[in-house]
Amino acid sequence: MTKFLDGYHRLLTWVLAFAVAILIVPVSIQIFSRFTALIPAYIWTEEMSRFFFIWMVMIGAMIGVRERLHFDVDLWNELSPRANAALRIVANLFVLGFTGVTIYWGIEFTKFGWNQTSELADLPMWLIFIAWPVAGVTWLLFLIEAFARDIDLYRRGENLGGNAPEKAL
Amino acid sequence: MTAAALSPGMAALVLFGTFFALLAVRVPVAFALGLAALPILVIEPRLSPMVLFNEMFKAYNSFILLAVPFFLLTANLMNVGGITDRLMRFSRALVGHFPGGLAQVNVVLSVFFAGISGSSTADAASQGKLFIQAQVKEGYDLSFSIAITAVSAVLAVIIPPSILMIVWGGVISTSIGAMYLAGVIPGLLIGLAQMATVHAYAKRRNYPVYPRAGLGEVVRSAFTSIPALTTPLIIVGGILLGFFTATESAAVAVLYAAALSIFYYRQLSMRQLYTAIVDTGRLASVALFCIGTASVFGWLLAYYQIPKALLANVTQWGLGPIGVGFLIAASFLVVGCFLDAIPAIIIVGTTLQPLAASVGLHPVSFAIIGIVSLAFGLVTPPYGMCLMISCAVAKVPLRYALKDTMIMLVPMLLVLCAMIIWPEIPLLLPRWISPELLK
Repeated sequence: MTKFLDGYHRLLTWVLAFAVAILIVPVSIQIFSRFTALIPAYIWTEEMSRFFFIWMVMIGAMIGVRERLHFDVDLWNELSPRANAALRIVANLFVLGFTGVTIYWGIEFTKFGWNQTSELADLPMWLIFIAWPVAGVTWLLFLIEAFARDIDLYRRGENLGGNAPEKAL
Repeated sequence: MTAAALSPGMAALVLFGTFFALLAVRVPVAFALGLAALPILVIEPRLSPMVLFNEMFKAYNSFILLAVPFFLLTANLMNVGGITDRLMRFSRALVGHFPGGLAQVNVVLSVFFAGISGSSTADAASQGKLFIQAQVKEGYDLSFSIAITAVSAVLAVIIPPSILMIVWGGVISTSIGAMYLAGVIPGLLIGLAQMATVHAYAKRRNYPVYPRAGLGEVVRSAFTSIPALTTPLIIVGGILLGFFTATESAAVAVLYAAALSIFYYRQLSMRQLYTAIVDTGRLASVALFCIGTASVFGWLLAYYQIPKALLANVTQWGLGPIGVGFLIAASFLVVGCFLDAIPAIIIVGTTLQPLAASVGLHPVSFAIIGIVSLAFGLVTPPYGMCLMISCAVAKVPLRYALKDTMIMLVPMLLVLCAMIIWPEIPLLLPRWISPELLK
């Protein structure tokens, strides 16, 4: 399970890097085509960058759950390792609720966009909308892993390795 | 709107009540915002959870927000590509001989960095690694070193270019070019206030100074920094002259930083490039994901016309522009303690805009007051990203550097007050360079 998730995680990271790197291309074309006659002023550049952008956000949000990158607010000062583990389980239960909603309604959302195409490049819209159900399923996998880990840490009364705010880096 | 099942008061109670309850059990802000919207979407017969995805999609499907990953990438490229090192050497030659030399360099480097990157979190992360340990080694107190790194990082969103100004321009339709120009003077004033604070600390605590750099070193270090220091002119100039849009300018910043690193300073390896890109993706997307759910939250507030209900009382107080200015600053400062700046602009900025307009506060002054207040929110707990990052770099809890941070905020708040009392301060530069933008 962990091995599979590690591989999946690496794949997502790679796709994320690709999405960030590719973002710069259509925007650059857009700028240069304005000043030179060498490149025609493609109309789809703006749309394409927006689509890559949406996928970038959603993939980052998926990885964020496993790497604990999503920012939270810490109102509690120093808690025992057990209380920390328990609190992580409670918080993740709520995230699980959101995951359920994202899977169920995300599929509805994708169905809704099944026959739509984009305004400029005529791309099928489900290619974008499907990012939500994919995110939902990915979160579900990562959350199951997190629950197993936190229950174990609670039993043993140990803290999660690493300093919590450091994830912001 | 007559068929709404919930009254605005009820809806506000559910939205904010759920949101804060979830934050209290450490649910990440992005998920807490989405979950808080959920009960209402289910209860209200005319809405459905589909709104959640539709509004998120609409938020991300915006060309403006592309600036967020681009500015982060610029900052990351500057750090790995040697631009930051060159600027550091120049800053040291300029102010190293002032009392508290290294801390002064910290502030001045933030000013330069702010002129190239528009992201404060990137500034805090890179300068945290660069300065905190070095300062402690030279005999500065750790809490002072953390605090000055964090507070100087906020300059990045005040001095152009700025992610917050681009988002503000997209959400509240204010000229981004005008905001960029308007941010320069307040940003420099805040930087000066910080240098004065460092001076006072250094005198009291006998912090070390560097020997004064010779003229030759100043000229040499300035010379190697010139290509990097022209970035703000290219970005702001390009926007004002209409060569590219604000978002495109962020892409230009990336290309320019990459070109400098690869061809001029020749320091960028493929491995570093990949790391810079992945780090950018991580930080940008979690911040942006939060903007999506915040948009849903904000959309519901607007659906129930909650802002209007809140402001109905305030308009009866009969405040003038200065009173309203202070109210705006106070609202953003309070909200900035709990929320990230971009969702705060979406939710609070749109709420306050009619109030600002009703007393004749100039939209650009309104924007600058809001953005400076939100920038200060980056170092106020419990949710102060820059302070969190600086403390994380030093591996101490946030409370550790709190006292020094609060002391350093006082002179910065005085600058904010001055801007509210004399709203002409931020307007000076745009009025001089391109008055047509202020129409």
